[in-house]
Amino acid sequence: MLAELRQRLQAMEKPAGIEDGPGAVPLGIAAVDNVLGGGLARGALHEIAAPGEAHLAAATGFVLGLAAGGRSRIVWIAEDMARTESGAPYGPGLDQFNLAPERLLTVAVARARDLLWAMEEALRCRAVGAVIGELRHGEIDAVAVRRLSLAAAEHGALALLLRAKPVNDASTAATRWIVGAAPSSPARAFEFGAPRFAAHLTRNRRGPTGSWILEWSDTDERFVLATHSVPVAAPPLHRPHRKVA
Amino acid sequence: MRDAAPALPFAVAGKRGNAETLVAIDDAAERRGLHIGMALAQARAMYPALDVVQEDADADAQLLEGIADWCLRYTPLVVCDAPDGLLLDITGCTHLYNGEHELVADLAGRIERAGFAYRIAIASTIGAAWAAAHCGEPASYACGEERSLLAPLPLSALRLAPATVAALARLGLKRIGDIIDLPRSPLTARFGAGLLRQLDRALGHEHEPLSPRLPVAPYVAEQRFAEPIAREEDVLGTVERLAVRLVFALERRGDGARRIELTLFRTDGEVRRIAAGTSRPLRDAHDIRALFVERLTALADALDPGFGFDMARLSVVLAEPCPPEQIGIGGAEDGVEIDRLADRLSARLGAQRVRHLIAQDSHIPEIAAATVPAQMAADDGWAAFRRHRTAAELAPRPLRLLMRPEPIEAVAEVPDGPPLRFRWRRALHEVIAADGPERIEGAWWSEHGGHPSGNLARDYFRVEDKSGLRFWLFRAGLYRDLVPGAVAPSWFVHGTYA
Repeated sequence: MLAELRQRLQAMEKPAGIEDGPGAVPLGIAAVDNVLGGGLARGALHEIAAPGEAHLAAATGFVLGLAAGGRSRIVWIAEDMARTESGAPYGPGLDQFNLAPERLLTVAVARARDLLWAMEEALRCRAVGAVIGELRHGEIDAVAVRRLSLAAAEHGALALLLRAKPVNDASTAATRWIVGAAPSSPARAFEFGAPRFAAHLTRNRRGPTGSWILEWSDTDERFVLATHSVPVAAPPLHRPHRKVA
Repeated sequence: MRDAAPALPFAVAGKRGNAETLVAIDDAAERRGLHIGMALAQARAMYPALDVVQEDADADAQLLEGIADWCLRYTPLVVCDAPDGLLLDITGCTHLYNGEHELVADLAGRIERAGFAYRIAIASTIGAAWAAAHCGEPASYACGEERSLLAPLPLSALRLAPATVAALARLGLKRIGDIIDLPRSPLTARFGAGLLRQLDRALGHEHEPLSPRLPVAPYVAEQRFAEPIAREEDVLGTVERLAVRLVFALERRGDGARRIELTLFRTDGEVRRIAAGTSRPLRDAHDIRALFVERLTALADALDPGFGFDMARLSVVLAEPCPPEQIGIGGAEDGVEIDRLADRLSARLGAQRVRHLIAQDSHIPEIAAATVPAQMAADDGWAAFRRHRTAAELAPRPLRLLMRPEPIEAVAEVPDGPPLRFRWRRALHEVIAADGPERIEGAWWSEHGGHPSGNLARDYFRVEDKSGLRFWLFRAGLYRDLVPGAVAPSWFVHGTYA
């Protein structure tokens, strides 16, 4: 009897945080997409943290690069604290990552509780393609992750949580990244190269983790693997032998 | 309102001119020969035991406002007549109570239960009603017979300046009846046009405008309850029922609601007003209910029903034409969805917190991009900005702009060049690549120009440090403008790039 109920429960329950239906957002880099199982899963929550306050702009750029694909609307929800500490998204600079400022709706919230509520509301809106929540302090528990994942799964939106510092809580997010800036490699000294990101995938519910140096390519309007990365070479994948689920 | 022992006279004193005088007294005091306007010292001399409290004009005004709010249950046209009167335009409202007498009986009963003394009069002009309420019989009805009502009343009932009343009294003109039939031109010549205007207004020969405290809503639906309601679900259910009626009226005139107000009348006289705005003209009862769900959640405990609400009113405060829409076309539908989301978020978090980015016609970076509440329809201006950027070949802009530029300590190789290293928020950054300068002149035509650093020209640099962090820095002030002995230009960080 009990076993039967358990089975039925199991059949009803989808694995939290991972939905198969809505598909994925490919990064366009085979190495990364393979690890992710085709790309960043839609309808799930992804946590992206900067290694420190100073790297927040880089993490923001990475998040925008992931979120801004397509023509749908983006909702950016931030705590008041985040805006005063690290600045607000600046319209004229957003185009760099393919996000026309018209597509952005910004929401300022006073408390983390409001942030999660607003994210959930925004994820349930059909016209919204991605929701970026900038959580300054505090933790996000499994219940909140589950709620956000379910809301995101309704219309296959991307739920992205942006943090200024990595946190060590037992989050059940589908993937967890630590993304900071990496030195660019310009063609000539003292010139500007394309922005580079040191991206560490520290948690992945679908497969192995890994670290890459990515570069935003203005011409392709997507991330590419930084090939001539100076001075550090891209570290090897964490578990390259493991087959992707 | 105050249970004074009947034997002890009670008075309120306040400053009039330079003297402490009595501004209000109770019946016991009146019986002992005190009167309003008497000096406090004199009253104290007559009755040392007189109980006196100091006047609090602000609290009085607030109380009057509160009662005025409460009177909204009778009519939307309520005017405060300071210090102690209220004018209600009940034209077309009396049928709700089956007649004027019943309305007055209801009003008098409720006011009396609340513990106020009152005088009520109904007349077809403001002047006549005021005169009857202040000087005539309480609860009088004078519709169509203003003349006979006013004639026996003293001239002060016409709301004249005390000096005019005194001057008329010296001529033996004490009652309104004394001047009704006098020749008009000598009166005007002697006392000015004001006297006859007041008379004409009271008699209904001249229209007197009434400007209500609150704008009168173009669409109103209300419901009274036999038993007070207190639960939030009941309030929301009422909102939806009222919304259905509003939507019907809105549809007939082709309008949609932009701002909706819910007024809840508590049994003890408190009035709660809760408003919600919308991004586009709204004509859907379900959506209206959804807005108030968010508003009530945001208020949560502040709804405070007390012993319950005995009346609810839903009014469309602001309506806009709402052309019938064709539904089912993808792009337009997305816009509707986003607006709905913005409405829900605004209702819960506040309209100021949900914003769109817009571009403004300015070359100063912090003014060039601004945000406006998402519910405010505005032209975003980004198309024009992109044209300008292409034409002027603007340098790339940062991803995040700080609320205000933050000062940094910077070391530059040459005075006009980019910094070699700088310290921001206690961290030292070694610059390895720099791009610039992009010179942005100050707003020389205005005093401060919106610049935090006064009105100086700025040289902007895009720099990258050793670890790949990118910043948007500027130097406020140019060395070319530097006069000897002045402070050297200072450096700021204004934004961060990815």
